[in-house]
Amino acid sequence: MREQTSGPPPDDPLQAAASAGVRTWRRPLALPRMRALPYLLVLPLMAVIAVLAVYPTALTFIDSLYHIDLLSPPQTFVGLQNYTDLFSDPDVATSWENTGLYVLFGVVLSTVLALIMALGLRDRFRGRAIMLAILILPWALPAVVEGVTWAWIYDPSFGVLNSLLHSLHVIQSYQLWISGNQVSSIFFIELVQVWQITPLSAVLILASLQTIPPELYEAARVDGATERFTLRSITLPLIRPGLSIAIVQAIVQSMNIFDQVYVLNGNALTGRSILMQTYLTAFANLNFGQGYALSFLVTIATVIVSVGILSFVYRTVEF
Amino acid sequence: MRRNYHIGRWIVCIFICIWSLFPIYWALNTSLTTPVASQSAPAHFVPSPLVFDNYRRIFGLGNAYQGSQSLWTGFRASITNSFVEGIATTVLTVAIAALGAYAFARMRFFGRRLFFYTVLTTLALPAYATLIPLYRIMSDWGLVNTYTGVVLVYVSGYLPLAMWILYNYFLSIPISLEEAALVDGASEVRTLVSIVAPLAVPALAAVAIITFLTAWAEFLFPLVMTSDLSTEPLTVFITSIRLSHIVPYTLLNAVGVMGIVVPAIIVMFLNRYIVTGILAGSGK
Repeated sequence: MREQTSGPPPDDPLQAAASAGVRTWRRPLALPRMRALPYLLVLPLMAVIAVLAVYPTALTFIDSLYHIDLLSPPQTFVGLQNYTDLFSDPDVATSWENTGLYVLFGVVLSTVLALIMALGLRDRFRGRAIMLAILILPWALPAVVEGVTWAWIYDPSFGVLNSLLHSLHVIQSYQLWISGNQVSSIFFIELVQVWQITPLSAVLILASLQTIPPELYEAARVDGATERFTLRSITLPLIRPGLSIAIVQAIVQSMNIFDQVYVLNGNALTGRSILMQTYLTAFANLNFGQGYALSFLVTIATVIVSVGILSFVYRTVEF
Repeated sequence: MRRNYHIGRWIVCIFICIWSLFPIYWALNTSLTTPVASQSAPAHFVPSPLVFDNYRRIFGLGNAYQGSQSLWTGFRASITNSFVEGIATTVLTVAIAALGAYAFARMRFFGRRLFFYTVLTTLALPAYATLIPLYRIMSDWGLVNTYTGVVLVYVSGYLPLAMWILYNYFLSIPISLEEAALVDGASEVRTLVSIVAPLAVPALAAVAIITFLTAWAEFLFPLVMTSDLSTEPLTVFITSIRLSHIVPYTLLNAVGVMGIVVPAIIVMFLNRYIVTGILAGSGK
């Protein structure tokens, strides 16, 4: 994954074998000719993917061109009307703006925290396995349950966050962390999601860190490099693949935030994410046509951002 | 310099412990006290008084509060649903993904590239993009509010990642063992069952664990796809009691702790598989 345009890195046996003309796994198995077995093996997979993933995605786009409103039938073709309606809806605009803030807070906080955590756990030490288990715990818990728990932590009258900060004299009086104003609502809702997604980023970055040969650090130390210099010139450039995947997953997660918003702020406009807006349009207002249009836009936005970042990192695709 | 690094590491470790465990501890702490004590200022960091009323109420024991029985009925039904849906989803996802991944990794056949890239493309789609059309498909088929409907929706969402993790794993197994079996006259199906499957156990376990945890945590899909306690999982139940009754936070946190226990146990004992699976899935 490193940026090397000329020749494969010599330390990668798979690539070395491939370039030497040695076929590794592509060697055909004993039985040639057209056979039924591979098709039988992929049939269940392809059936589910085709009917429940590809078809619905296509349906999303096609139906977004129709007026489908359970409260005002009939269903009629309206072209791009659903999209133009969306662009003139101030609530939708606010939801996009909120989502942008979620992504901003989510990516910055989770990446910085994950980087610090991964650097701390880089070397082997006693108790590291237990630290890893503790690290990934929040990732494994249901977001909704986390939301309920954090709602109590944030409680404006009895929450422990207020109590703690008040005891430490950071705040003079108890604060309303969520649903007061837009930026603070989004920050504190996103903090709950950051709590959940940071472990994944940390594990991805940690795996990249462990691919860095220790000799590089030895050499830097011999040459008398400062720790800051080592971090900036060796560590950060070499963990770029892991870092980028971590950033992409943070973007995708925060762009599609729903559970935490639902629990902590309901459908209030102060923290309404684009997915909450989609949910309201389709399942509260029963305007499915517009819901489809919005889903389609979210999909496109997510795919463009993630493919964009990933293709920037991976110049070649292996298959 | 080494010394600085060691001190830094301990600071990070302490930070991780507080960051990861404090919110969970706080839920537990709240769930073990009375509503009045939970509202004390400044907050108590250990439950005082220590009471188990909230858990007694969830499990329908005694009559610590009114309405214990209905809460127990709802809790029992929803946690059963979470288990049924989670386990069925896991079994189906692992089985279907493993067969497909093996074919992609080891066999040459017409359409292989097309099929493979179709599956990979759906991996890039955000999960909720298909929420509305899936709902309408399931409602056309009469599968809304059924286990079948919920499980099908989950399976369709988890298959691409499961396939990708297993595909990478099969590629990493040396092919020579399978070739030896084939040369010795074993059929391909026999080779798959008795040579490949045992070798793939760590990856299959990783996929199974990640799938179960994801299904257990699912919220928006069941919120839309289920309508009563016959299929509603625990996540939907928690939000519904929060919205429909005036429930003290002590009780709500107790239900939350019950939703945390199962994944927490899994992480405690099986975290090695989870990390392996995450890394295989990231396509490193």
